[in-house]
Amino acid sequence: MSRIGVFVCHCGENISRTVDVERVAAQVGKMPGVAFATDYKYMCSDPGQTLLKKTIQEQKLSHVVVAACSPRMHEKTFRKAVEAAGLNPYLCEMANIREHCSWVHEDKQEATAKAIEIVGMLVERVKKNRVLPTITVPVTKRSLVIGGGIAGIQAALDIADAGHHVVLVERDPSIGGHMAQLSETFPTLDCSQCIMTPKMVDVANHPNITLYSYSEIEQVDGYIGNFQVTIRRKARSVDEDKCTGCGVCMEKCPVKKIPNKFDCNLGMRPAIYVPFPQAVPNTPVIDRDNCIKFKTGKCGLCQKVCGPGAVDYEQEDRLVVEPVGAIVVATGFDLYTIDEKPKGSMIKGYGEFGHGKIPDVIDGMTFERLASASGPTGGKILRPSDGKEPKQIVFIQCIGSRAREKGISYCSKVCCMYTAKHTMLYHHKVHDGQAYVFFMDARTPGKAYDEFWRRSIEEEEAVYIRGMVSRLYQKGDKIVVMGSDIAVGVQVEIEADMVVLATAIQPRTGADSLAQKLGISYDKYNFYSEAHAKLRPVECATAGIYLVGACQGPKDIPDTVSQASAAAAKVMTLFAKDKLEREPIVARVKEAGCVGCFACKKVCAYGAVEEKEIRDRQGNLIKVVAYVNPGVCGGCGTCQATCPSKSVELDGYTDEQIVAMIEAL
Amino acid sequence: MHPEKLKHDFEPKIIAFVCTWCTYAGADLAGTSRMQYPANVRVLKFPCTGRIDPVFILKAFQQGADGVLVSGCHPGDCHYIAGNFHARRRFAAFRKLLEFVGVDLERLQFSWVSAAEGGKWVEVVTDLTEKVRNMGPMTEFKELALEEQWSGTIDTPELKEAYNAI
Amino acid sequence: MTQTIDTTIYAAVSEAIQAEAKRILTAGEVTAVVGYAAARRKGSAQPIVITSAVDAQKLIFTPACVNNLAVYLTKAKKEIPKSGRIGIVVKGCDLKALVGLMGESQLKREQLYLIGVPCAGVLASTIQPDTGLTSDSIAPKCLECDAHLPQGCDFVPTQTPVSPELEKKYAAEIARLEALTPQERWAYWKEQFSKCIKCYACRQVCPFCFCEQCLCDRNKPQMVDTTPRPAGNTAWHIVRAMHLAGRCAGCAECERVCPMDIPLNLLNRKMAKELKELYDYEAGFQVNDKGPLNSYTEKDDQSFIK
Repeated sequence: MSRIGVFVCHCGENISRTVDVERVAAQVGKMPGVAFATDYKYMCSDPGQTLLKKTIQEQKLSHVVVAACSPRMHEKTFRKAVEAAGLNPYLCEMANIREHCSWVHEDKQEATAKAIEIVGMLVERVKKNRVLPTITVPVTKRSLVIGGGIAGIQAALDIADAGHHVVLVERDPSIGGHMAQLSETFPTLDCSQCIMTPKMVDVANHPNITLYSYSEIEQVDGYIGNFQVTIRRKARSVDEDKCTGCGVCMEKCPVKKIPNKFDCNLGMRPAIYVPFPQAVPNTPVIDRDNCIKFKTGKCGLCQKVCGPGAVDYEQEDRLVVEPVGAIVVATGFDLYTIDEKPKGSMIKGYGEFGHGKIPDVIDGMTFERLASASGPTGGKILRPSDGKEPKQIVFIQCIGSRAREKGISYCSKVCCMYTAKHTMLYHHKVHDGQAYVFFMDARTPGKAYDEFWRRSIEEEEAVYIRGMVSRLYQKGDKIVVMGSDIAVGVQVEIEADMVVLATAIQPRTGADSLAQKLGISYDKYNFYSEAHAKLRPVECATAGIYLVGACQGPKDIPDTVSQASAAAAKVMTLFAKDKLEREPIVARVKEAGCVGCFACKKVCAYGAVEEKEIRDRQGNLIKVVAYVNPGVCGGCGTCQATCPSKSVELDGYTDEQIVAMIEAL
Repeated sequence: MHPEKLKHDFEPKIIAFVCTWCTYAGADLAGTSRMQYPANVRVLKFPCTGRIDPVFILKAFQQGADGVLVSGCHPGDCHYIAGNFHARRRFAAFRKLLEFVGVDLERLQFSWVSAAEGGKWVEVVTDLTEKVRNMGPMTEFKELALEEQWSGTIDTPELKEAYNAI
Repeated sequence: MTQTIDTTIYAAVSEAIQAEAKRILTAGEVTAVVGYAAARRKGSAQPIVITSAVDAQKLIFTPACVNNLAVYLTKAKKEIPKSGRIGIVVKGCDLKALVGLMGESQLKREQLYLIGVPCAGVLASTIQPDTGLTSDSIAPKCLECDAHLPQGCDFVPTQTPVSPELEKKYAAEIARLEALTPQERWAYWKEQFSKCIKCYACRQVCPFCFCEQCLCDRNKPQMVDTTPRPAGNTAWHIVRAMHLAGRCAGCAECERVCPMDIPLNLLNRKMAKELKELYDYEAGFQVNDKGPLNSYTEKDDQSFIK
């Protein structure tokens, strides 16, 4: 039998002015199960809470209803007080007779009658409340970082510096990502490699970082604090432990003329290679598609010249499983390629800018490689077609970006700034050259950004033409660029030697399949979705997974690095405790009734529902039922409303509690 | 001091099923802003509209509600990512079913009321209360509850014959 | 005007079913075949489970083969699927139920050997079994059939059913009811539901009512009135229709077995119609990850929401 205590608060006069609180207490006191009912001036005050605690003990109360303000205001206060008096906090409910009653009604009789009904409903509800123990989940204090660009590197270093182990997984043979390809960086024009490579070395040397380069995520199981990640370590054909990175194999490799992706196919590399000299790890990889040994079975020169005997043609992909507690996703971006329409892509090809057809129409990243001191031209701006120095160069912005009709409506954010940088680099390297920029708007918010852009016009003599290019074609060794200057209202025609397109930033190809493995959501462009655009910008809705960098949306380096440190801080917050504590408002499956239709799994936005096999003592499968992982469950209860047999129940909001309230009407 | 309050012959019972993050908070805001609305509504708090089972609506009508309001976060604002999207489909289907069995849908209102829309809460509740007050009591389910036996008429020749033979 | 419906292919179909059942049982491809056999009354048929090739000759297909055999794979004969791969004779409408059950993890495709039946229609429940099939004697669900030839089966006899365009009774009845006022519709359903004796035959026969414990049998809390009184009956039928929405593909077994002749499939068809209009969803054509009521799009209709 319940011994419910009801405490009706006056809230000074806030409630008692329109609600006859004494009458409420007297009426509710007559309800079955109510052992004690009183009214008090300020329930939330110290004496009020003392009264509550004292009464619970003296009257041996089993449940408590505090009729006062909104539970959003003081539910925590009173549940704490109830807990201090030795009752489970979830045996206390609040009846909102202030915001929902005394403040919104003037007629005292009406308001009093309504207050009695509200409290009555909560009395019926609290009878069905159950003891709910706080849920704790163990936390594995190791982190996985996916992607070894600047985003992943920064996050990995921060977490590792805090003393937690980090597993860093990179798809390519070396970490570094796009930032390693850049020549110089805005707005300071410092050399990208000079600031990037030390960080890469830090990763390689950090005692708390395990680096898996040339590896991919195969499978992700588990949940916050307790993920099991299977990583595919692709066959490198070179033993990383034995290789000293001397580079003799690369020198001796007879295949030399393979376009190097790192150099945007402008430079060449052998079949056994590191993508660039400062690669981390500095262990070569054999490109099996182009290696003579793998194609014909002959050659084997690299193995013969390798002193430590590191070359291993028999090497196969290996799967390693790493237990981690948190996952940082930093998979970065690809540049929108306009010379082809990827299969299944919603993005329509451009075509009219000749990229992929006219050799001297290049994208921004190719320009970076041309401008890079360690690039294929040694930092000289030379045309890919004939190696001549372009004297007239045209930059076209917003290629793909902000073109709703072509499928991308977002702004790629970095192009205005990098195009301004390109005009400067060009001006520094080709003193007698002239740069033109076709642009829609210049979007340069950021510290010292607008000044930088102004400098490209005012000091570095770039000519900015507001308007888009309508046509572009090859004429002899020139590229004729026709466009309009809408500021002046005239048609413009420029005979350029080279054209650079500021192509849109897109998520990495395969971003969607990785998201599916991780159980995180993504938008229509495949950018990963944060839990809340403003208040939880680095967390995924899936607990324990965090986002960094351009995989979430176009971002420049400073923003990416800040976000990386923010995500690292989130991971450290998670790792600060040995166990994760959470409110026990979670769904629970009643296995006896569950028939395993998994409607709950289909509607769960958190991926909290798993399939669980029930076996008898002999190990025979009896049935497969749903299991809700309390560490992952968000507590919305959509599963319960969906379950036809109501075999899953949300603690704190059970059908019994709700039906009791409806029946109290 | 107070304006003369109109007395009505019939005061409907309105039950509101609301989510805690948006509509309940919106109703709180109406309170803190001291807005006024009819005292007919009783609020049941749920974590999310996704938790609201159509059976509760049925149950509410059976328990004597004259009008039912279901309200939650605007699309895209769900605290639980997508609970309101699931609810939207569920209730789109359920109201069609109720309509088909003859429940007047004027008695069943759905709304999105955010935590910032105290005024909208007042408007939705006031409108529904007044609408239902004009419609009069919901008698259908109440009458049904009072009926004990088969109310069908014996209308086939076979049944009539069998009945007469008893 | 009464139209005769040609069922002459059924004899050849029966032979083909027998031969295939014999073959798969002999070859050990399946451990049992669920199908139809002749029953005692002239022209009538009943479900049968055969486990030996000798019994294959018992299998028939006639206009009296009304049952949806899918129910034998879920709850009616739960032990059957555990014995191994099962052969099952399915009409197009029955196949839709199986497809739904696969989507709800109740069956796996590889557990089944589907023997599809080219079907021009079966008899209505009120008709004597040896009656010829006409536009009057045909089951109402067959009037709206869009699956005379089941798709994606392991075996389908080569015969092609002739299916003339017939007047759609459910569609007409739904339209008639929709045109009424809410009060008139309430009166109609009150009359119908009041007849209900809560025998739960509709639940028993439905392939989708596979819950081990029905919500409507629960008493802690009692969500739905369980007594066979008008209030409880109405609640039961509303909850039942809601639970089948987006899942039921219209085998109409509920309506067939109802001893009180309540037009139960009318509710199911109404819900199917609404879900088709709202979300362009039709149950039973492909194994779906998610049905219309456990999925969503951000742009779903919300014209009814203030």
